[in-house]
Amino acid sequence: MSAIEITNISQAFNLGMSNQVDALTDINLSIASGEFVSLIGPSGCGKSTLLRLIANLLVPTSGAIVVNGKSAKQARLDQDYGMAFQQSGLFEWRTVAKNIELPLELKGWDKTRRQARATEMLELVKLSDFANHFPWQLSGGMQQRVAIARALAVHPSLLLMDEPFGALDEMTREHMQSELLSICRASGTTVVFVTHSIPEAVYLSNRVVVMSPRPGRVAEIVDVSIEGERNDATRDNAVFFQRITAVREALRGVEMSDHVRGIEDR
Amino acid sequence: MTTVATIKKNRETVRRVRRAILFVVSLLFVAVAWELYKAVGPEAGGKIFGWKLLPRSNNNAMPHVWDMLMRYNRPELRGSDRKIWSVVLAGAWFSFRLALVGFAIGSTLGLGLSILMARFKIAERGILPYLVVSQTVPLIALAPLVVSWGGKLHIAGWTWPRWMSAAVLGAFLAFFPVAVGALKGLTSAPLASHELMDSYAASWWQTLRKLRFPAAIPFIVPSLKLAASASVIGVVVAEISTGLKGGIGRLIIEYAREATGDPAKVFTAVFGAAALGLAMSGLVTLADIYMMRNRPKEASA
Ligand SMILES: Nc1ncnc2c1ncn2[C@@H]1O[C@H](COP(=O)(O)OP(=O)(O)OP(=O)(O)O)[C@@H](O)[C@H]1O
Ligand SMILES: [Mg+2]
Repeated sequence: MSAIEITNISQAFNLGMSNQVDALTDINLSIASGEFVSLIGPSGCGKSTLLRLIANLLVPTSGAIVVNGKSAKQARLDQDYGMAFQQSGLFEWRTVAKNIELPLELKGWDKTRRQARATEMLELVKLSDFANHFPWQLSGGMQQRVAIARALAVHPSLLLMDEPFGALDEMTREHMQSELLSICRASGTTVVFVTHSIPEAVYLSNRVVVMSPRPGRVAEIVDVSIEGERNDATRDNAVFFQRITAVREALRGVEMSDHVRGIEDR
Repeated sequence: MTTVATIKKNRETVRRVRRAILFVVSLLFVAVAWELYKAVGPEAGGKIFGWKLLPRSNNNAMPHVWDMLMRYNRPELRGSDRKIWSVVLAGAWFSFRLALVGFAIGSTLGLGLSILMARFKIAERGILPYLVVSQTVPLIALAPLVVSWGGKLHIAGWTWPRWMSAAVLGAFLAFFPVAVGALKGLTSAPLASHELMDSYAASWWQTLRKLRFPAAIPFIVPSLKLAASASVIGVVVAEISTGLKGGIGRLIIEYAREATGDPAKVFTAVFGAAALGLAMSGLVTLADIYMMRNRPKEASA
């Protein structure tokens, strides 16, 4: 079964007004259960918009989105997905553990069950010692890990991430990438991941969706298919570099039609 | 981590002690300035550039600081054995309780209004202008009205106590800063946080309790401080203009009438009123320390 089925999605902001923006046109995308898909493309090509449409934080101007076999809205009401953004978005008045418990509270879980799950998630992101710290007492990378733990707390089948590692330094970033992969591999979570980094997209994904701007369209889908488990050795793999080149070429194609900005080549 | 936290906490304590010392020093400074002016200022007042600015420095207009302090230990009236400090203290305590009631009513009302305004944009447009206008009505004009309205209230055997009018006038001044401050706070959470709550399919009330309200605390706390001093002003002015007995406001006008014969007396009551205001804001400061204990210190500084 496919986790996400996107058919003929178009999204226009300020429809019919002089400042109308056609953020997305005619997007078709099918994401299989357990698949890791990255969205990459120049700034303003509608990556975040597409993610917010899947999350039902926006309703598309036209087209249909099916998540886990139901409408995007029903999937949101059922808390089928977890979300993480570039800014960790932790609540500063809650401890780390309480931040992770937030989605569970809203699901109406009782206290013991919540605490057990929070403990489990903290172990997963290796922050057990910081359960009772407040977010502002943690480093940026640690905050991001808490945000990911929060997104995973309900054990969602789907994870939506918008440049979650964008604010991290290179070392922490690579470390987090490996952790994310192992977490998702262990739980079979489907991931839609927005990034500006080509190596990051290639390292993490089964498929990389290259988007073009104005109006946002799917320009090309690069199948990564690197054999075996991904680990630090993957980063030196010849196939890895081939795929990076493939994505870069695809982005160049996009560049021909429009000026590309904001793609990191690291 | 813990050592860093301890150092921060110690630093916080040091800062508070320093602030307390500074406060005492500034009081001393005012006293010294007062006496200095008495020493060099013109007995009969004076003019600067043709403006009548300088107050008279004689003992009738400006009693010595020590005379004022000594006055506390002498009887309120000749022949009575009740020392004036106990009268002033009792008056301040009476007014303090009224101010507290006014503060509680006002803050609750202000908070309720702010939630209403945050919930319904229409309510904000419809209510906010009236709130602003309400604060331009002079309290002195309002006081007799409240007293007469209250006097007409009889609900199931319950009659409006006289002191209630003073408390209501305190509330009238107190609710405004809370309503405005809380409204600003309730709408202060970033869009991303709201989207997060939406992604959890949280209801409006859940979002209020778990996001909007906690996010509003740093805005509500300073507005409560304003409300605390406003409620004291409201109560004291109401006591004076409605002639309510028992409070510090009443003492001030009574003693002011005796200013020619006993100039230090009125100051004992004035200081009592100041102490009352300090007590109120001290109470709110405690609440502040409690509510902001887990917030980033940079933000609260
Ligand atoms: N709420 C909105 N109202 C109007 N226009 C919007 C809104 N949100 C996004 N847009 C527009 O839609 C387009 C796509 O925006 P989006 O945020 O999805 O881009 P993006 O690919 O995520 O960019 P970036 O890489 O910089 O994050 C942009 O032109 C943007 O200006
Ligand atoms: Mg974006």
